[in-house]
Amino acid sequence: MAIPSKVPLGFRELTEASGFAAANGPWFEKIDGDRVIRGFLPGPQHANALGIVHGGMLAAFIDSAMGTAVLHTLNRRAVTVRMSLDYLGPGRVGDWLQAEGEVVGHDEHMAQVRGRLYGPRHEVLAGLGVFSLLSRHRKLTRRG
Amino acid sequence: MLQDDPPDGFLRIDFDRDRPETTFNSHIGTLYAKRGAKGTRDEFVLGFRVHQHMCNPAGGLHGGMMMTVADLVGTMGGGTLVGLRKFLPTVSMTFDFVAPARVGDWVEGRAEVVRQTRSLLFTNIYLTVGDEKFLRASQIAKIPSGEGLSFGKARLDRSAAGAAAPSR
Repeated sequence: MAIPSKVPLGFRELTEASGFAAANGPWFEKIDGDRVIRGFLPGPQHANALGIVHGGMLAAFIDSAMGTAVLHTLNRRAVTVRMSLDYLGPGRVGDWLQAEGEVVGHDEHMAQVRGRLYGPRHEVLAGLGVFSLLSRHRKLTRRG
Repeated sequence: MLQDDPPDGFLRIDFDRDRPETTFNSHIGTLYAKRGAKGTRDEFVLGFRVHQHMCNPAGGLHGGMMMTVADLVGTMGGGTLVGLRKFLPTVSMTFDFVAPARVGDWVEGRAEVVRQTRSLLFTNIYLTVGDEKFLRASQIAKIPSGEGLSFGKARLDRSAAGAAAPSR
């Protein structure tokens, strides 16, 4: 598949996505040292009635970036228990949007993660999440 | 193939009337709404059937889908409860993911208005399967000054339901 030209250098498409992520993708990822940055290029299918990116899509995307930060930083899979989001500015259709997470605290069972989602001109969404860490021994079952 | 098979009283929400392209609310799947008697728990109920394309790799309803629907229940449902037909932009939301939902489940979402000020609407939102709550959310939405945009072009599609449709 041809990668849209607005995708910055170093991002790879998450081709293993299924279900909701696949239906609302493609999503891209770049690993930059300690950081994992996710990005996507919103189209009309991501828009709301105002023609800007739907808050639910932005929520889904920042959540995925914050969960990935847990995996990358702690090498543990995690599920979201709580997510708090503040909408700071509109996400524009056609603008490349990026999201990333930072693990700010954790113990054996839980991790606290700060997230941000931003466009080329301004911050779009600020997040604070609590993630439950899955057992190190548990295999993630994939269905479908 | 899994059918939506909505329970009695639910009508498909037509988000994109006269719009050339499908927007997110239609893209994520068919969403339904039911309007019950004023002041009752069912005054506004949003509903949908969980399909595979709404799920995560583990086979549960994706958190992003839960958040999208809860956002909509707060702005569209909460707005309806207080008699606003404007588009209410979301300012802030908090979600607690208390349980999963699975393919085939019929999900319902209800909003409770906590307080309405001149410029803000505070709501609590629950998503349920049967009697089980699986998502708790709280929302602050902005009430735009002036007339603002009406809630997109969303209308309940009465064409399929005929006389069974509840009146607004």
